[in-house]
Amino acid sequence: MKPEPINAGPLEDRVEALKPDDLTRALEEFRAVMTRDHAAALASCVHCGLCSETCHYYLATRRLDAIPAYKLGLVASVFRRHEGLLGKVAPGWVGARTLNHETIKAWIDALFGRCSLCGRCALNCTMGINITAAIRAARGVLAALDLVPPGLKSTVDTALIKGNNMGISENDFVETLAWLEGEMQSDAGFETARMYVEETGCRMLYTLNPREVMFFPLSIVAVAKIFHAAGESWTFSKDGFDVTNYGLYDGSDAHAGTMSGRLVTSMERLGAGTLVLAECGHGFNSNRWEAPQWLNRRYPFEVKSILQVVAGYLRDGRIKVDAAQNTQPVTLHDPCNLVRLGGIVEEQRYLLRHTARDFREMTPNREHNYCCGGGGGQLAMTNYADRRLEAGRIKADQIRRTGAKIVAVPCHNCIDQLMELNKHYGLGVELKTVCELVANALVVEP
Amino acid sequence: MGCINVSGRGVQINEEGFLQNPGEWNREVARELACTQEGLTDLTDEHWSVVNCIREHYLEHDLAPMVRKICVTTGLKLTRIFELFPSGPAKGACKVAGLPKPDGCV
Repeated sequence: MKPEPINAGPLEDRVEALKPDDLTRALEEFRAVMTRDHAAALASCVHCGLCSETCHYYLATRRLDAIPAYKLGLVASVFRRHEGLLGKVAPGWVGARTLNHETIKAWIDALFGRCSLCGRCALNCTMGINITAAIRAARGVLAALDLVPPGLKSTVDTALIKGNNMGISENDFVETLAWLEGEMQSDAGFETARMYVEETGCRMLYTLNPREVMFFPLSIVAVAKIFHAAGESWTFSKDGFDVTNYGLYDGSDAHAGTMSGRLVTSMERLGAGTLVLAECGHGFNSNRWEAPQWLNRRYPFEVKSILQVVAGYLRDGRIKVDAAQNTQPVTLHDPCNLVRLGGIVEEQRYLLRHTARDFREMTPNREHNYCCGGGGGQLAMTNYADRRLEAGRIKADQIRRTGAKIVAVPCHNCIDQLMELNKHYGLGVELKTVCELVANALVVEP
Repeated sequence: MGCINVSGRGVQINEEGFLQNPGEWNREVARELACTQEGLTDLTDEHWSVVNCIREHYLEHDLAPMVRKICVTTGLKLTRIFELFPSGPAKGACKVAGLPKPDGCV
């Protein structure tokens, strides 16, 4: 393999323009985000190489610079240079690198350009190093310098300025829900089903990925139908509805806290009992696990995935389903942030076993499943699209081996990447959310 | 970064097949994008009604329209939009209409 010259892609000129003051600020930021846990992680890698075989970027390309230990090493070498005695007096001996223009370019290229923060390397690390968290922290240093690749940066900016990551206005949101309500009520058995907005005191506040409202609304109808069939008390908030959190991906805890805080504000304003997160992997990980730390507070309410809620309906007999409605072979994609990093593993399988005639697992599956390649903000970073599609081959091969015609995908971000893999690798499959399959199998009284 | 050939003229597209410069769009460019990037063999009147609706909204608001607006303006059913543009309204129809890639999970 011939090494390519490392560059920062569309950020190249901006990195070149960094002044000594900027580099000092970068180092201060780096020291600030390097907690004890990160420091221990950066000092612990024994270069055993086991992580190479866990990473879809490495498996698809066999590039040495795609190996997780290499990517972690880019961060660790800077830590050694600035925090360790040997690194200060004899950097060459210990492979220490100064935080300068070249290292920043290498960080951008590897940490944004060859990592989807999927956590598969960390799960398999012999030393138990949370490589994913260390890489996210280093991304946060780049975010503090405003060195985030353009597509990811504009998605974060849109969310921060406009309240959701696609800039949907309150009016457009409410009008779309009204339109969908009309469409839903024309389906037999759902004549009285509703889309509730701004109701107070409900049991559940439901959230959405903005792409559902903007372009792919059938998944919203599916969940509303399930809520109707279960007789649930639920509502949307007119402004705090965005389940996504691209602050998880640009690495900025401040950005991430602002985004998750909006859902908390909606919960408190509407007095709902449970915050229910749509089928969105990183939105689940962010809002269920990370957000209380970002906001430095305990939540006085429950946070659940819609999959937990719907699996509960089925277990408790609140909905009835007929698997004969979904006869095509179905397989299931495990979104990294929902499954490996989120802990929602069996609910989706329980639902699919009851709502599809022929449910087939991929291999490997559950927490060992491969990333689709679209996580970590990859889908937003157009400049790395070629690498994303190349790395997605591992997932495409997994899907093809199942022979399934439908892939159930409990994450809208993964769906988009899988739509591209479907086209690029000619898989010939249909992609659906789990709730779309459940809604299709619902048995409702006439 | 790539290039499509429109009547002997090179038009730049980005890594995902979206126009690099949305100002270079015309009907011929749309046809070329549809064929080379979206695998569509022809743009029918229905395709054009969606493309024109998106283009007009973009020129006025600098934003892609929501799929509701596309359905209401064109009178097409939601499912029909997905049949016309298998990559969906964002990566299919917006691309053919010459818009930049929308933000978010697309």
